[in-house]
Amino acid sequence: MRVVIAEDSVLLREGLARLLAEAGVEVAAQVGDADALHHAVHRERPDVVVVDVRMPPTQTDEGARAAREIRAQHPEVAILVLSQVVEAKHALELFSERPEGFGYLLKDRVLEVDDFLESVRRVGNGGTAMDPEVVAQLFGRRRAPDPLEELTPRERDVLGLMAEGFSNAGICKKLFLSPKTVETHVHSIFGKLGLPPAPDDHRRVLAVLAFLRQS
Amino acid sequence: MRALRLALAAAGAGLGVLAYQVQIDNLGSLTSPTRALAIVAVAWAFLGAGLIAWARRPENRLGPLLTAAGFALLARQLRYSHDPIVFTVFFALGELSYALAAHSVLAYPSGHVRGRAEWLLVRVGYASMLLFPLAILLVYDGSERLRYMDLRPHESVLVVWEDMGLALALQKAFVFFVWGVLAILFIALVLRRLARATPRARRMLAPLLLAAVVFALRAVYEGIFIVVDRPAAIVDDVLFWWQIAGFIALPIALVAGMLRARLARANVGELVLELERTPPEGMRDALARALGDPGLEVGFWLPERREYVDGRGRLLVLPSEDGERAVTRLDHAGEPIAAIVHDASLVDEPELLQASGAAARLALENARLHADMLAQLAEVQESRVRIVQAADEERRRIERDLHDGAQQRLVALALQLRSGQRQLGEVADPEVSRLLAEAVDELQVAVEELRELARGVHPAILTEDGLAAALESLTSRAPIPVALDVSEGRLPAQVEATAYFVACEALANVVKHANASRATVSARREDGVLVIEVEDDGVGGAHAENGSGLRGLADRVEALGGRLVVESPTGGGTHVVGEIPCAS
Repeated sequence: MRVVIAEDSVLLREGLARLLAEAGVEVAAQVGDADALHHAVHRERPDVVVVDVRMPPTQTDEGARAAREIRAQHPEVAILVLSQVVEAKHALELFSERPEGFGYLLKDRVLEVDDFLESVRRVGNGGTAMDPEVVAQLFGRRRAPDPLEELTPRERDVLGLMAEGFSNAGICKKLFLSPKTVETHVHSIFGKLGLPPAPDDHRRVLAVLAFLRQS
Repeated sequence: MRALRLALAAAGAGLGVLAYQVQIDNLGSLTSPTRALAIVAVAWAFLGAGLIAWARRPENRLGPLLTAAGFALLARQLRYSHDPIVFTVFFALGELSYALAAHSVLAYPSGHVRGRAEWLLVRVGYASMLLFPLAILLVYDGSERLRYMDLRPHESVLVVWEDMGLALALQKAFVFFVWGVLAILFIALVLRRLARATPRARRMLAPLLLAAVVFALRAVYEGIFIVVDRPAAIVDDVLFWWQIAGFIALPIALVAGMLRARLARANVGELVLELERTPPEGMRDALARALGDPGLEVGFWLPERREYVDGRGRLLVLPSEDGERAVTRLDHAGEPIAAIVHDASLVDEPELLQASGAAARLALENARLHADMLAQLAEVQESRVRIVQAADEERRRIERDLHDGAQQRLVALALQLRSGQRQLGEVADPEVSRLLAEAVDELQVAVEELRELARGVHPAILTEDGLAAALESLTSRAPIPVALDVSEGRLPAQVEATAYFVACEALANVVKHANASRATVSARREDGVLVIEVEDDGVGGAHAENGSGLRGLADRVEALGGRLVVESPTGGGTHVVGEIPCAS
C-alpha cells in the first residue's frame, strides 16, 4: 500500500511517515500544502492520501478542498482527512454520496496507532473511517419521534461502529462479541430503523449515514 | 439726545399751535376748528410716536424719520399763509411730509429700507415731492388761486415766467404722478412684502396693511380733488375723517410694532421661569414659544468636537442664511455655547434675541451639557460595539493559535513518544514502556482539553459556516436532547457570535443547574432583529444577575443595542431570550 502525506507541521508529518513506514506502508511522498499534494498525487498515484484539513496559506479548509478535488479527478485514490476538530456537517459534506475509500478522523486518533493503521488500511481497501465523535454528534441530533430511542444500548454501540465504517468482523473484535450475536444486532437495528438490508459493508455505511443525517 | 428730543417736543407743540392758527386765519370756510385741529393731531401723532421710538430705540432710524414726518406735516400747514416768503418756502417743502411718511413705512421695522424697488420708490418720491412744487412756484403768477389751496391767490417769490395755465397743469400732473402712479406702486410694494413674509414676520408686518389702506384713501381723496374743485360735503367729510383716523393710527401702529420686541420682554420673563422647569430636550420648544418662531432650532456647541448638535446629541449643520432662516450665535466668555437657527425676521429684533439668549443661557449651558452627554453616550455605544468586535477577533485568533500551535505540537510530541514506545517494544523495561504510555495518555487528555477550550473560546465552525451550523454542532453535542429551530443565512459576525454565546451559556446552565429532560434552542430574524431563545423544562430559579455568565452576555447583547431577558420561575423552567439588532 502506497501513501502520500499532506501535513504542514513537519514534526507531525515525519512522525506519521515513520509510523506508517514501521507498519510496512510505503510513504511515496510527504508534502506541506495543497499544490504540492496535487502534484504528488498526479506523479505517484498512491492508494491513500492522508491530508490535514488546515494547511497554508489560509489555514482554513485547503485540505478539505484538495480532498474533494482529488476525489473528482482520481476516484481510485482513497482519502483520509485529519482534523483538529471534527464537525458532523463537514463530515457529511465530505462523504457526500460516496463513503467508499474515505475517512475523516480527529488528528489525535493517530496516537492509537493500531486503530489508526487499521483505519488507513480500511480506507485503502475501499472502506470507510468515520470519527466516533462525528457519529456521536449524529446520534445527538434531535429527531421527533426519535427511532434511536427504540434501540437497546448494545444496538446503539453496534450502530455507531457501523457508522464509523466497521465490518461485522471489526465490530466483533471491538465489542468482544460472537459473529452470530453481531449479525442478530444488525438485523434488529435495520428492522427497528426501517432500513432495507444492505448486501455489503459499503452500502451499509451509506444506509446508516443517510439515516443519521436526516434531522 | 434727551435734551434734543425735549426741545423737538416743545418745538412741535409750538409749531402745532402756529399751524392751527395759520389754517384758521387763511382757509376761512374751507376748514373749521375741528378740521384744523385734526390735521395738527395727525402731525402730533407722527411727532409723538417718532419721539417715543427715538427714545426707546435710539439706534433705529424709524424714530427720527417719523419725527421728521411729523414736523413736515405741521410745516405743510404754513403754506396757507399769505406772506409770500412763508408761502413759497412751505409750499415747496410741505409735500415732503408724505414722502417721509412713506419712507417710514418702507423702513419699518428696522429703520432701513430693504429692496431695490423700495429704495427707488423712496428716492423718486422725495424728488417728485420737492421738484413738482418748485416747478409750480416758478410759473405761478398769483392771478388765480391754486387748486384746493385757499379762497385767495398767493404770491410766489420764485416766479420766473408767469403762466397760470402751466401752473395748474403742473399741479394736475403732480397729483396724477404722485397719487396715481407712486402711491399705487407704494401699495403694491407693501402688499408684496406682506405676501412674501414668513408667518412669524407677517404678524409683525400688520401695520403695513394699515399703511396701504391709509395711502389708498389719500390717493382717492387727491384724485377727487383733481376732478372736482369742491366735492360734495358728505364725500369730503367721510374721506377726510377716515384719512385722519388712519394717519393718526399709522405712526402709533408702526412704533407699537417696533417696540413689540421690547414688550416681548414679558415673554422673556416667562421664559426664565419656564426654563427652570424645562428638561433639556424642551429647550427648543420653550425658546420657540418665547420668540414666536415654531420652526426654531437650537444647536449646542461641543468644544471637543468643534461642532453643533441638537438636543438629542445629533449633529446639526447650521444652514446658510438665505433670507428665510438666520443664525444667532450665543457666546459666553468668548466660548460659543449655542446657536439658534430662527426666522430671518428676528434679525430685526436683536434685543429680543439677545434677551432670550441671556435668559436661556444657564438652561442652554445645562442643555448643552446634556446634549454633550448624549453625544458621548453615542460614542461610548460605538466604542462598546468596537470592543465586542475586537474581543471576537481576539477570540478567533486565540482559537487559531491553539489549533495551529499548541494542539498541533502536543499531538506531534505524543506521536514521537508513541513511536519511541513502540520501537522499544518488549525489549524495554516494562516500567519505561508504562511511563511512556502514561505520558501519551496525558498528552491525549491535554489535546482533548485544548480542543474543548478552543471551541469554547470561538468555535471554528461559527466563523466558517455561520450561526446555524454552529448551533447545530452545539446542540448535537449536548448531553440532553435539544430541539433546534434556526433560520439559515449569514449575519454580521458580531451578531452571530453574540447569539451563539448566548445559546452556549444558556445551554451550559441548563445542563449544569436546570436538571432538565429536554431543551429548545431557536434563532430567527424578525424585523431586523435576531431573536435567540433557549428554553428548558427544568427547575427554574435562574437569574441573569447572580454571577452567572449571563450577566456578561447581557452586557454583550446590550453593547450591540439589544437586550437579554431571563424568565425563570421556580419550578417553571428557564426561558432566555436575547434580541440583537441585525440590520443587514
